[in-house]
Amino acid sequence: MSVIAPKFRLGYFLKGIFDNAFWILTIVTLAGIPAIQIVLFYLELPVIDGELLTAFLAFTWLFNPTMQVPLIKALIYSDLFRIVAFPGFGFAALIAAGTIFVERKMLAKLQLRVGPFYCGKVEGILQLAGDGLKLISKEIIIPAKADKPLFWAAPVLFVGTAAAFVALIPVAPGGWVVADLDVGLLAVFAVIGFFPIITILSAWSANSKFPFIGGIRALHQMVSFEIPLILSLLGVVILTGTLNLSEIVESQSSFPWIIFMPIGAIVFFTTMLAELERIPFDLPEAESEIVAGWLTEFSGMMYGLVQLGSYLKLYAFAALFVIIFLGGWTGPVFWPPLETELITEGIPIPNYAGDPILTVNAPGLPLLDQDPNEWVLQQQGELQYTSGQLLVSGVIWFVLKTVGVIFFILLPRGVFPRIRLDMLLHIGWYKLIGLSFVNIFIALGLVYAGVIGPGGIL
Amino acid sequence: MADALFLAISVLTIGSAIAALEMRSLVYGSIALMGTLGGVAGFYVMLDSPFVAMFQLAVYVGSIAVLILFTVMLVKRELIFKKIEDPKRKFAGIGLMLIVILALGAVIMDSGIKTISTDSDPVDFREIGGDFLTYYWPALILMALILAGSVMGALVLARREDTIENEQ
Repeated sequence: MSVIAPKFRLGYFLKGIFDNAFWILTIVTLAGIPAIQIVLFYLELPVIDGELLTAFLAFTWLFNPTMQVPLIKALIYSDLFRIVAFPGFGFAALIAAGTIFVERKMLAKLQLRVGPFYCGKVEGILQLAGDGLKLISKEIIIPAKADKPLFWAAPVLFVGTAAAFVALIPVAPGGWVVADLDVGLLAVFAVIGFFPIITILSAWSANSKFPFIGGIRALHQMVSFEIPLILSLLGVVILTGTLNLSEIVESQSSFPWIIFMPIGAIVFFTTMLAELERIPFDLPEAESEIVAGWLTEFSGMMYGLVQLGSYLKLYAFAALFVIIFLGGWTGPVFWPPLETELITEGIPIPNYAGDPILTVNAPGLPLLDQDPNEWVLQQQGELQYTSGQLLVSGVIWFVLKTVGVIFFILLPRGVFPRIRLDMLLHIGWYKLIGLSFVNIFIALGLVYAGVIGPGGIL
Repeated sequence: MADALFLAISVLTIGSAIAALEMRSLVYGSIALMGTLGGVAGFYVMLDSPFVAMFQLAVYVGSIAVLILFTVMLVKRELIFKKIEDPKRKFAGIGLMLIVILALGAVIMDSGIKTISTDSDPVDFREIGGDFLTYYWPALILMALILAGSVMGALVLARREDTIENEQ
């Protein structure tokens, strides 16, 4: 007899299932369907193929093969998709999840260990899912004397601020960004400024010694490294004359700014490591001195949320480095163009002998183009690349560069020891600020010598 | 839509300003102050000047509020929760505030604010930068010198002879 379920009866089991089904059906009928209808009443639904999409039409089209492609296309170009899935939260969370696994495995290889090994047969690739399930199912323990509202709010605020940071990152040409601001870089600085507040508030609200020490250290570190961070990016702003991140990327179509601003790139990378609290700057979480720093009292999914937020932040910083110094999505377009016949006449499907017997007409193709007329223009030679081609190869270049930068962020963790607090402040206040001023003077020299910038040679 | 947003930001700003004054806990008071400063940033966004709004967020919420929080956390715990009740002062303060608000409102309404058109284009921050570097450059340099002087003065005041000798 199993100890886990000593009173197991098939009847009880079936009764449980039927009870659950009954209550789910009841609640959906009484509350779910009216709620969906109320939401649909206020939603602005798109017009597809000259017809206003209603809920009934959407359900009909879901099972109509010729209308599925336009429906998916309308979904992809909606704001909700941008916020939730592609350039926004989902994309960043996917990269963050990959980063966590790669970090553990790569550090293990660097230090001649095995790393995650047992979950999911092949090199432990399901370790992350297992950890996530564990975190969700664990109890959330609040310290007895903690300041409860702040303690609950801090992880959520941390993830929210990291997601706001992610929302400012343009991923592909053609406005693939959640919030395309004219003052995007300033918005990034404003968002970065929120992290120390949340850190110190969560550290204070835990009402415990280790989190408070960690929080004070995090505050020191973040506030003193924010200044070189802002100064190191000003050189690029002087050269491009804009604060819009998409325009900064477009200004690097022939060469990335790291060629002219290597000092700025080095300073920004160092401050990035410090803002992310990664080794060698992980004093706020120094596990050999103060348990886990300002994360000590978090348990269960609250800890999971803070970890998710910090890895979203890591992705966003790496993407910012790519956008400002490495040219973002620029790179050779290698995605081949589709043939016009596929769009105008349909997709021919051959039989076993190779003779086309059936033509599937898929209206709405190309899926990744906002304007299907671009295909016709490209066939006539008036347009070099369609936006679909640019999107696919742009995303691939962007992800490749970002993953490279993330690799260099992860690498010091396996190589360097933690530095002392006074060394950290010395680096931040003396060396990095001086170097970033040198960088600004290089930028000003390039502008006034007439090399780059408005009216320059390049 | 804009009116509802304006009302919401106004309620946030004024409500959190009152909360910042009335909260017993200093930490919650400074959080409410952050709400006020963020609400002011929201007003700047509504007034089509995102440049100023972002600087408001980065400087006031991001730095000044952190400074206030840091100071508050260094205060002794008894001082944080000390209760001072003085209804006379409270009413005097409210009266003074009303007088100041009325006077300022009269001055502002008397000025030419009514003739400003509301549908003009947003202010380009490049123009602001250009103005600063051409027409207002003496003021800019004066401000920079005053700031540098105050930072140097603070460094001199904060310098302690004994610790430096101990380190050597």
